[in-house]
Amino acid sequence: MGRRRRRVDPADAAGALPAAITALSRALPGGPSPETFRRAKFDRPEAAPALWRLLFHVLSPRPADDAAALPTPEAQARLVKSVLRSQGYPRRALVQLPEDGSQGSRELLLALSWLLARGPLLERLLAQIRVRLGDEMPVCECEVLASPGPPAPRVEADGCVDIRHLQWLMGKLRFRWRNLITSQQEHCALLGKLLRRLESENARLEAALEWRRRELVFWQWMDTVLDACPPEASQPTFLPRILERGAGELELVARELQALQEELQAVVEPRRAAWEARVGGWGPGWKATQRASEEAVRQELTALQRAWERGGGLAQPHGPHRLVRSEAGTLGGPGLCATEVIKALRSREACLEAALRQLQGQCRQELARLVGALPGFIWILPPGC
Amino acid sequence: MSIVTVQLGQCGNQIGFEVFDALFIDSHCPQRLSSKRENEAYQASCKERFFSEEENGVPIARAVLVDMEPKVINQTLSKAAQSGRWKYGQHSSFCQKQGSGNNWAYGYSVHGPRHEESIRNLIQKEVEKCDSLSGFFIIMSMAGGTGSGLGAFVTQNLQDQYSNSLKMNQIIWPYGTGEVIVQNYNSVLTLSHLYRSSDALLVHENDAVHKICAKLMNIKQISFSDINQVLAHQLGSVFQPTYSAEGSFHYRRNPLGDLMENLVPHPEFKMLGVRNIPQMSENSLAYSTFTWAGLLKHLRQMLISNAKMEEGIDWQIRPPLPGLPNLSKMSLNKELHFNTSIANLLILRGKDVHSADLEGFKDPALYTSWLEPVNAFNVWRTQRAFSKYEKSAALVSNSQFLVKPLDMIVGKAWNMFASKAYVHQYTKFGIEEEDFLDSFALLEQVVASYCTL
Repeated sequence: MGRRRRRVDPADAAGALPAAITALSRALPGGPSPETFRRAKFDRPEAAPALWRLLFHVLSPRPADDAAALPTPEAQARLVKSVLRSQGYPRRALVQLPEDGSQGSRELLLALSWLLARGPLLERLLAQIRVRLGDEMPVCECEVLASPGPPAPRVEADGCVDIRHLQWLMGKLRFRWRNLITSQQEHCALLGKLLRRLESENARLEAALEWRRRELVFWQWMDTVLDACPPEASQPTFLPRILERGAGELELVARELQALQEELQAVVEPRRAAWEARVGGWGPGWKATQRASEEAVRQELTALQRAWERGGGLAQPHGPHRLVRSEAGTLGGPGLCATEVIKALRSREACLEAALRQLQGQCRQELARLVGALPGFIWILPPGC
Repeated sequence: MSIVTVQLGQCGNQIGFEVFDALFIDSHCPQRLSSKRENEAYQASCKERFFSEEENGVPIARAVLVDMEPKVINQTLSKAAQSGRWKYGQHSSFCQKQGSGNNWAYGYSVHGPRHEESIRNLIQKEVEKCDSLSGFFIIMSMAGGTGSGLGAFVTQNLQDQYSNSLKMNQIIWPYGTGEVIVQNYNSVLTLSHLYRSSDALLVHENDAVHKICAKLMNIKQISFSDINQVLAHQLGSVFQPTYSAEGSFHYRRNPLGDLMENLVPHPEFKMLGVRNIPQMSENSLAYSTFTWAGLLKHLRQMLISNAKMEEGIDWQIRPPLPGLPNLSKMSLNKELHFNTSIANLLILRGKDVHSADLEGFKDPALYTSWLEPVNAFNVWRTQRAFSKYEKSAALVSNSQFLVKPLDMIVGKAWNMFASKAYVHQYTKFGIEEEDFLDSFALLEQVVASYCTL
């Protein structure tokens, strides 16, 4: 168990522990009340259910958000025990607790502190329940999103217009206006909801910061809790086994790729030599053609590579991405750098523009051909053509 | 966006229950052909529109129940609660201890103003539960007494309170052979008042639905519950979630708004009718297969010949030839066989929905001369099937279908009015003869407008 031996400022001492425990209670999602922590030190049974629930919530593999799927207290207790054991929790007293959830609050408190001390448990939990709206944007190249929209209503330029048609259009406009107002109201209501959720998340985050400032006092208190436990024979800590399966398969794949590459080389070389031999006898005009085709191939290859890079460089092109601000130059964890995305999008834009220009040129040539084919007509081409 | 339903009177409350039930059952119907995620999105969309949430998970219908006597409301509330699927809000109903006679004028001039505030508060509470309000359904009968008068008053009130929200009245057109002697007066007054304050009148004809039950569903003793279930099925197949655009996978946020924008923008033409196909009961579905071509062909002919059932359609009726001048299309007499449409909205649900050929509905001959098919015809296609119907289609149309029935009612009412029969029942409570005359004038205008399409 992690112990930190540093002096605490005595002036803080009186209110520091309750403040620390309150902060922890507020920061933990579904956190038990500060009273539960105090009771747990004295192993009071009424504190046990809340701690079992908290540990289940923290340790269960997927976020348990819907109340309907909550398993029985026995199942929760079994899961908690097995996960703790597989993570290497050393105290046997926990394993021996009855599974009806009625006892063991002190052991559970020790287990919770063990988890808190080991790793960024609080941060992980907060990240799990964070509000996902408002700081995300989609990075998606799906064509399905670029839909042309509804067709524009046709307008009859000539002929008399029936006044009923005008009244119909006016009424449609009025309905759209009303629907717009209702949508705005819905928008406001949803924003209000979002704001409330953000506020509660802020409160939790503030509590987490508060906890970080005061946690020293908590650890000192946990020492006293540990001392309050009856001594138990020390058990050898057993670490969980890390399965080595994955590494062997990777080796295999690497070796196969290597073999494939060698095979390709072996096939390519003689073919190229034979071709060179054939072509060598041909005239200089052929050389020029050869160079032109080589150039074309090179361009296509770079285009392919660019496309490949696009696919690989923009990792996860679908789905929402979270916007995170960071210092210039520091590379965060997984994810894309905004400047890189912008660069990639700009190069794609250049490619598309080039393609557009080429297509426009083709259209122009076709039009010119048509113009030539029908001498009796005067063609007025659209501006920019 | 959510829709708040106001259920008025015996009719409105009984039908309202069936509508919510049909919507709920469809949204939870196990679907073989849709992915789990799609189904969940459909359920969520339906739920947001028609139900609100409660802590213990039972959805609560976004509805306000109003009636002048407690019997039907209590029955409706308990039926919903007993189903265990969904329920009405505990404090969403308003009723008086006793009825007050079948009197339109009493409902409009006395009950309305007297209970205006209570009803308004109930509606306000329901509106506040919505994140965003698309509009209102008001379900009521047209020819009833108190319920119809009160309904007209409430609709007017909604017009004042929520002028930006959309209002669609689901009106039950009475049987031709009704029991109430003043039902034609009531119908005339209801329709004229609603025409002024509502955005769209979706008319359900009791006669038509009754025939569907009898002929197609093989129900021997037809109860109101059977009729209401057919009606609810029609409404459900219109208002359940649909994709917002061709090729989109998001469900439409505001179907009511989109429907109204497509069908009733003209203030003179607000009458809508629904036809759906297939009309057989779910139990018979196992023995039939349908093609879109067959379904749409029948539906088109139902529209053209103004048939309400998919059986016994008159296939002789054809659209008029394009070369004829407009005048020969107009005719206020009994020879009006071909049903001209102003606008149509076709809603298709189910398997292979994108392969359906819609050219038949884009024929300009179906429509009036001043609106082209590209503006007059709209289609909403969704892959997720409705209930157990592998393929189903609903057609909401603004057409001449009600001209004859309306003309008949106005004629009969006028004849009674000419001899001032029973008029004192109305003048006693503040509906003057002038109000009658205004109503007649408005409806005559509506009939004329529809006839000169």
